[in-house]
Amino acid sequence: MGLMKILKKLKQNEKEVRILLLGLDNAGKTTIMSKFCGKDVSIIAPTLGFNIETLEFRGYKLTFWDVGGQRSLRSFWRNYFENTDALIWVVDSADRMRMEDCRKELHSLLLEERLAGATLVIFANKQDLPSAATSAQIAEVLQLMDIKTHNWLILPCSAMSGDNLLKGMEWLIGDVSSRIFTTE
Amino acid sequence: MTQEAIARTRSRRGLPQPHSRPTVTEEELRLKDYITPEDVMNLSCITKDYLCSHDANVYDIDFIRFKIRDMDSGVTLFEVAKPAGYDPKQHHTPGEVIDPDAGRFVRYHFSQGFLKLQSVGATVEFTVGDKPLTHFRMIERHFFRDQELKCFDFEFGFCIPNSKNSVEHIYEFPELPSDLMKEMVENPFETRSDSFYFVDNKLIMHNKADYAYDEPDVAAL
Repeated sequence: MGLMKILKKLKQNEKEVRILLLGLDNAGKTTIMSKFCGKDVSIIAPTLGFNIETLEFRGYKLTFWDVGGQRSLRSFWRNYFENTDALIWVVDSADRMRMEDCRKELHSLLLEERLAGATLVIFANKQDLPSAATSAQIAEVLQLMDIKTHNWLILPCSAMSGDNLLKGMEWLIGDVSSRIFTTE
Repeated sequence: MTQEAIARTRSRRGLPQPHSRPTVTEEELRLKDYITPEDVMNLSCITKDYLCSHDANVYDIDFIRFKIRDMDSGVTLFEVAKPAGYDPKQHHTPGEVIDPDAGRFVRYHFSQGFLKLQSVGATVEFTVGDKPLTHFRMIERHFFRDQELKCFDFEFGFCIPNSKNSVEHIYEFPELPSDLMKEMVENPFETRSDSFYFVDNKLIMHNKADYAYDEPDVAAL
């Protein structure tokens, strides 16, 4: 039995899923996570480190790692790649000025060996803002069609209202589960 | 959306099984150069005294907020936070002796209804000094007398220098037998916890708490 198979078996018993939330600062990573965990999202301060949430969902033990997105913090992201099952990339759909920066950061993450194979969900957040770009526009600017190394899904969402967060999480769990927890 | 999203499994777990680890006493541990996570897992009861001195925390890890919420009602049951920029050294009068162990011990008063909660979110916020932490790990053991009620073991891994971090564990409380619950209510402060913090597998902080279930029940519970 190969090492990967043994690791898969270990994970299968625990049913633990490690989810990393990344994106530029002010994208809404913490708000998405907090909303999903039933917290008050009216006051969310910039993250100057990490926020972790652990909860059980659909029989899985989820651990969310939300790491601050300010430029000075991005060099530390690499410390959180290990054992990541799914990456949630959060985009401020109204921040058209920084879409190119956003594309570059995302594509450099996808080259990371320790994130190889991780399920990728892109949340086109802040759809409640009138100036928000559509998820189709964002998919194009971020060149998502070029991604062949990861299973990915883009969804328009609003962290404030919670729209589509559940749908995204269910797809994420389904994809992780079919990769890791399938019975042999 | 929220209630649906957190449609957690409702099967409640019982108390942890007594484990068949080799047991060790705190006196034995005190003789060691440093104490590891395995060491504290091998303790069979609550400690009588701290297993490291307050100055073992060379990383300036500071706990600034602790909060407990009931996931079913959403009500915050308990919250304590340090005021921003609070420095105990600047708040003491000359001649007053500062207790180095102040802040390492907390006494909680909860209502009896607290023991019946099913699902609780416990949040901790902490800041880190100007050194990065490589392997930061927390082990918390809760006992009533010599019976273990709950053990948490969480690996934070890396912490960014000068960062402010938070962690919330949303968990299902173990279902307590009613006779045990009654004993816990009738014997305040005999429910205790040890919180151990490790960096690179060495104990650097040890905090303690005890609990009484003697507050009047609030309507939300």
